[in-house]
Order: sequence, then C-alpha cells, then structure tokens
Amino acid sequence: MSALVHVAPVACAHCGLPVPDGRLRDDAPAFCCSGCEIVHAAIAEHGLERYYDLRRADAAAAEPSRTSDHTYGELDDSAFQRLHVTVGADGLARTALYLEDLRCTACVWLVESAPRCIDGVSEIRVDMGRSRADVVWDPERTPLSAVARYLDRVGHAPHPYRGMDRERQRRVEDRTLLIKLGVAGAALGNIMLLAVALYAGLFGGMSSHDTTMFRWISMFVAVPGLGYAATPFFATAIGALRARRLHLDLPLSIGIVAGLGWGAANVVRGVGEIYFDSLAMLVFLLLVSRWIVLRHQRRASSAAELLLSLTPTRAHRITDGVVTDVAIEAIVPGDLVSIRVGEVCPVDGELVEGASALDVGLLTGESNPVEVRPGDTVHAGTANVAAPIIIRATAVGEATRVGKLVATIEAMSSRKSPIERLVDRIAGRFVAVVTTVALATFVLWSLLASVSVGAEHAMALLVVTCPCALALATPLAVTVALGRAARRGILVKGADALERLATPGTIFVDKTGTLTMGKLAVVTWFGDVDAAVLASAVEAGSDHPIARALRAYAPTSRSAKNIREEIGRGIAGLVDGRLVIVGAPAWVRARISIDRHLLPDAIEYWIAELAERGETPIVVAIDGVAVAVAGLADPIRPDAGAALAKMMGLGWRVELLSGDDTRVVRRVGASLGFSPEQCTGNTSPEGKVAVVRAARERGPVLMVGDGVNDAAAMAAATAGIAVSGAAEIAIEAADVYLRSPSITTVADAIAGGRATLVTIKRNLRFSLVYNLAAGALAVAGLIHPLVAAAVMPLSSLTVLASSLRSRAFRSPS
Amino acid sequence: MTALYLVIPLALLVAGAALGAFVWVVRSGQLDDCDTPARRILFDDTKK
Repeated sequence: MSALVHVAPVACAHCGLPVPDGRLRDDAPAFCCSGCEIVHAAIAEHGLERYYDLRRADAAAAEPSRTSDHTYGELDDSAFQRLHVTVGADGLARTALYLEDLRCTACVWLVESAPRCIDGVSEIRVDMGRSRADVVWDPERTPLSAVARYLDRVGHAPHPYRGMDRERQRRVEDRTLLIKLGVAGAALGNIMLLAVALYAGLFGGMSSHDTTMFRWISMFVAVPGLGYAATPFFATAIGALRARRLHLDLPLSIGIVAGLGWGAANVVRGVGEIYFDSLAMLVFLLLVSRWIVLRHQRRASSAAELLLSLTPTRAHRITDGVVTDVAIEAIVPGDLVSIRVGEVCPVDGELVEGASALDVGLLTGESNPVEVRPGDTVHAGTANVAAPIIIRATAVGEATRVGKLVATIEAMSSRKSPIERLVDRIAGRFVAVVTTVALATFVLWSLLASVSVGAEHAMALLVVTCPCALALATPLAVTVALGRAARRGILVKGADALERLATPGTIFVDKTGTLTMGKLAVVTWFGDVDAAVLASAVEAGSDHPIARALRAYAPTSRSAKNIREEIGRGIAGLVDGRLVIVGAPAWVRARISIDRHLLPDAIEYWIAELAERGETPIVVAIDGVAVAVAGLADPIRPDAGAALAKMMGLGWRVELLSGDDTRVVRRVGASLGFSPEQCTGNTSPEGKVAVVRAARERGPVLMVGDGVNDAAAMAAATAGIAVSGAAEIAIEAADVYLRSPSITTVADAIAGGRATLVTIKRNLRFSLVYNLAAGALAVAGLIHPLVAAAVMPLSSLTVLASSLRSRAFRSPS
Repeated sequence: MTALYLVIPLALLVAGAALGAFVWVVRSGQLDDCDTPARRILFDDTKK
C-alpha cells in the first residue's frame, strides 16, 4: 500500500515560492520554473547576488521571473533606430524601453546594474511608475539587442517604448501642475506671514500706515499668484459651464474669484476684510490633492501604451513574389505578409504557407507554444518561434483582436466613477444654495446695517463655504486605500475601480487557480494500488502535470528503462522487466487491446465513473493488462470556502464561468456549495462576454480571470480582476491586479472597496456638516478672517483624519 | 519701521528666487519620477 509522503514544501531559490515536485533536486538549489532558474544563473554569472538582499528588504510579495528566448534582432534594425534612438554629440545612443515585471527595489537595482555587466552600456535609469528604462550606450561597443537580451535574462523582458507623443503631452501636463503647485505654496507661505503680522496688529494695535502696506503686499502676492495657480480649476469650471454639466470646480472657482476680487477691492478702498490667507491655503491643498490623484493615474500604465510597444512597426509584405519592408500602416487585408522566426505577428491573418508554433504568451499567458498549420488564424502580437510562415492579412491595426481589446479598454477607463458623478451633482446644488443664501445675507444685512456690511458678510459666506473639504473627501480616502492595498499585493487602478468593487452584484470566477490550487493531483485510485509505484517510476523524467501528480502520489526511487513518452497521450517504460503503460484511456486502449478495443469491464466502469465525477481518468497497464485507473483533479483551495462565505456575506452572488469541461466545473462548484446553475463550463471567450453582458442587466458584475480570453469579458464587466500569473495584457486590461491567485485576496479586495466607499461617504458628510456650520456663522455675521483661517483648515484636517481611520485594506491584526 | 520697507521687498525677492529655482527644477525633469528615487536610497555603491 503506497502511503502519501508529506514533505515540507521546498522554496524556490530565486523567488521563494514552492517548488513543484518534478523540479526538486537533491544536490543543487531548486527553482519553481525555468524563468527563475535562468534569472538566478544570470545573477550569479554577473556577481549580482546583492539582488537577494534587496529583495528581502522589500516587503512586496515575490513572484516567479519570466524570461523568453527572443534575440531582439529587430532593435538593431536601422528603420527602428531612426525612429526610436537618438545619438548624442558624445557618440552615445539613447533610447527608452518598456520593461516587464518591474515591481520592486531589487528589480530596479538589477536593471540599473547593467553597466557593470555589459561592456558598452554607460547608464540605465529606471522609472518604476512608468515601467520604463532609459538606456545610454555606445553603439560601437555593443548592439542594443545585446542589452535587450541581458534585460530579458534577468527577468525583465524589454519592449520598444512607443507612444512617446502621448508621453510628452502627459509630461507637460504634469510639470505644469507641479509648477502651479509650487507657486501656490510660495504664495501661501508669504501670505501667511503677512497675515500673521496683520492679526498681531489686531490685538496690539498697528499703525494704519503699516496695515495698508501689509494689505497691499498681500494683494500683490495673492492675486497674480493664486490667479495663476488656480487656473486648472477655472478651466474645468468654464468647460463644465459650456457643456452645461455640473462640476465641483464650479463652486470652488466662484469662491476663489469672489474672494480675490473682493479682497483686492477692499485693499484699494482701504476698508473691509481680506481673506487671502484662507484662499491660498484652499488653492494649495486642492492642488496637492490633484497632484496626488494624477500621480496615481500615471502609475498605472495604460494598456494602450503596452500594446503599442508590443506590436511591430514594420512588416514584410509580399507582392508578386517580392518581399518588401513596409510600415505596418501600409498593410491592408488581403496582403500577403511574411513572418520570420523570432518576429512578432504584425496583423491578424490566415496562415497560407508554412507550419510553425506561436508564442501566444502575450495574449493568453500560456507558456507552451501553440502549433499552427495552413488554414489556422494567427493573431497580431503573438511571436513566431519555430519556422517562417506566410499569412494573408485579415485584420490590421485597430481591427485586430488585440486592437479591438485596446479600444474597449480605453473607452472603459474614461468613465467617471459613481461617487464622482454624485459629488458633481452635489456641487451643482451647492452653487445654487450658496448663491441664494449669499444674496439673502446681503439683503438682510444691508437692511440691518449697511450695504458694505451686507457685502462683507455675503463675501465671507462665499469664501468660507468654499468646498475644499468636499473636493478632498474622495481623493484622500482613495489615496489611503490604494496605498494600503498595494502594500498587501492588491493593485487597484483608481478611485473608480475601488468603487466598482463596493456595490454588490455578481462575481464570475474562472475555476483554475482561483478556487483551486492550479495543479493536478491524484484524488482517486481504483484498482491495484501497487501499480501506483510502477506508474510513478515510469513518469520519473516527465515534466507533464499528470506525471508530477502521479509522482507526488507515490514517490519512489525505482527507475524505469526504455521510457517513451507521447506528449499529451501517455508514457511507457520497463520497470524491473515489466512493461508499464500509463496514459489517457483512448491511448491505452489502442495499445493493449487489439481486437476488442475495450479494456476489462471493471476498468471501463471506473473510467466512466471518474469522468462523471469530473476527474481526469488515467489508466495504468502492466504487461498488457490494465490494472488500475487514477482519477486526477485540481484540488480546491482550503481557504476557498471561507472566502466565498465572506463575499456572499457582503452581498455578492458568486458564479463559476470557465472554459473547462462542464462536469469538472460542476464538481468543483458542488464541493463548495454551488448549485449547478451557478456553474457554467465549456465557455468560449465570446461566450464569457455574452454571459457577463446578460448579468450586467441585473446589476454590477465582477470578472476574475487570468488570460486575454478573459480580458474581453473583464472589459465588459463593471470591473475586471486579474490574478497573479496572468498575461501582461490581462493585467493591464483589468481594474485590479492581485499578486496572489487565491480567492481570499479577491474577497479582501471587495471588502476593501466597500470600506473605502464607507470612508468616502463619511468624509462627504463631514464636509457638508462643516459647510452648514460655517455658512450659518457667516450669515450671522460672525465670520472674520481670523475665524476663517482657523475653521477652514479644520475641515480639511477632519477629512484627512477620517481618511486615515478608514478600515479599508487594514492588515489583519 | 522703515527697515520693513527694505526687508519685505528683499524677502519677496528671495521667495521669488526660490520659486524660480523650483520652476527650473521642474522644467529640467528632476521631479518627473518621484517613486524610483525613494527606492534607490536602498542601494549602496559598494561595488565599483
């Protein structure tokens, strides 16, 4: 009787994640995948072991490294170099590359250490937020492709950084905002100094001469300074007015303009109060919040930019048997395009000549190349790895599968989140209410006292009810939440993504890897139990998931000879002189039962039984007789039940939507308490989109997935969640990326989204309460610049404190 | 108080100069990336 041997999981020497059994070594360090192994070797070769020290210092969760076999020859192409490389007067060339998987300090160090390791590279500078590396090198001493190969070997595959125009535009926007922020800050500091002088004069007495001087200087600092710094708000407000839309910047702008104008008028007249210090604080704080939000938006690099980097700019068109290099825009459907080995397919097309294998990892995350033969469809963005092929273009540019995906993604990301729309609606009513009350105050006090007193109080009302806290309410709560979430390995792309996680609806989960462990294991064994050891011996050299499962079930040191494996079908070998065959039922039947094409009744019964249960049957035959059947399945994660309960407790309906066999999906669902209607299998990518769209009619929909076959469904859903191990495209397409594939993290992300919404609502309530109180004081004529200067920051601080107290994404204590 | 007539304009000039320096810093791109320098402080130049 073979017993399950429990061995403590061995950690990958590179990334620390568990090593699958097939990769264990007795004497050498073990790695969880070939990517980690390659990167580890590269690090050792260049003497960069400090990488591991830095890795430990970083709290970020480790992930397996990814490498590819690309030679990057296209980077040395003169056409490419003309477009993307600049050569300086010093003879050094400069270019920008988009690097994959740049997520931690150690990664940055590793990349920036390249000058030490490649002769000819003088500098590499990384911008983590944009996943970008600026390379400076001597083209005489080393080609760009060599630099690219190095970067790939250390786990950060490079791509040309296209989209420079958009980048330049963004850079100008960012810098302008920062300058305005600086101007506001400088103005604020100086105005406050002058204001303190004036306040001191209130109590101690100050000559009118000095008072006038301070007031005039305040005005000269405030009006141009704040007038310039606050232009972002004015621009948005005017734009909203023109489009007859509501926007929070409208009451803000009114308050700022009224305050500056009235203050200037009072300085010139020589009487009346000035509120420049409160206004300066307001403008400064609001610009800070704008800048923080902008930074977050920039950090999540857009899917469009990645895709621009990944599709080639040139293609080899064949006209009348002659191959010419053309720009990719010149290709039209119907053109014949030749794709060489190592190149990326520039367009969608039908394969007409040649047979090869394509690396579709970019699109689906699959590491094994997919074979293609004439008649098969080929997609833009996949890499040709085996042999040269010729395709007839069927779709180019935006019409390609990948292009359409980008268009969907971009359309999605410009939507405003529900809370932002709510706040804008509040702003609209706000303006109406405040204007009415201001007019009423003016009239009231004009009658009670004098016109100038009436004007004073009305102006004070406008300044003091300026919705600074309201404008800060959402950005602060969101920033705190996003920062905390990132530290826990939950990368959320923005406020709207968080909000979409908050309102409950339906969640669609792909079975593999989220609810299950993501690897096969033997769960049932029918028949001769001693055969397990023999099967395990025969599977010794194979890397196939089934082989690993069998070896884990019955570890043995017995060895087999004459092993022959037919990939995906079965394996055969001699163990102690006995012929052992292990494989899929159809394959085994063909091998051992010539005349009847059926195995013994008991074995056939068990095969059918396992299939019914949703387990994969594997038959073991010894010396021509089938003696056992193993049932293999992907075991369910132990924490799945608790996580599902948590999500349902928050009001979500969870359903399984998978491309796997329906029986398997139902089996997984049944063991977790799902009813059969909630489990759908055999779904194509288009089918998933249809299901998601139908569910959207009933409420918000979340789609959890890991490949581009899920990405379209993710884009159609209210929010898409990509889990660890997903293709780069899927990560960029999703609203949330989870570093760990387990369902518990999904539950945490949802809980965090809900908690953030609670905080945002609390902040909004605070700011409205403050505005009511301040407004009441103003109407009563009790507002004075000193009072305003004290009360207005108080409201902002309250909102800040409330945001910090948020329970969103708090680490479990 | 005549000192103030000298001191305050001087102070404003200094503030203006500081602001000018800030604008130069932003325009020369030193503040384009505020995330990576935070990570870089963890490296030492132990190797050549």
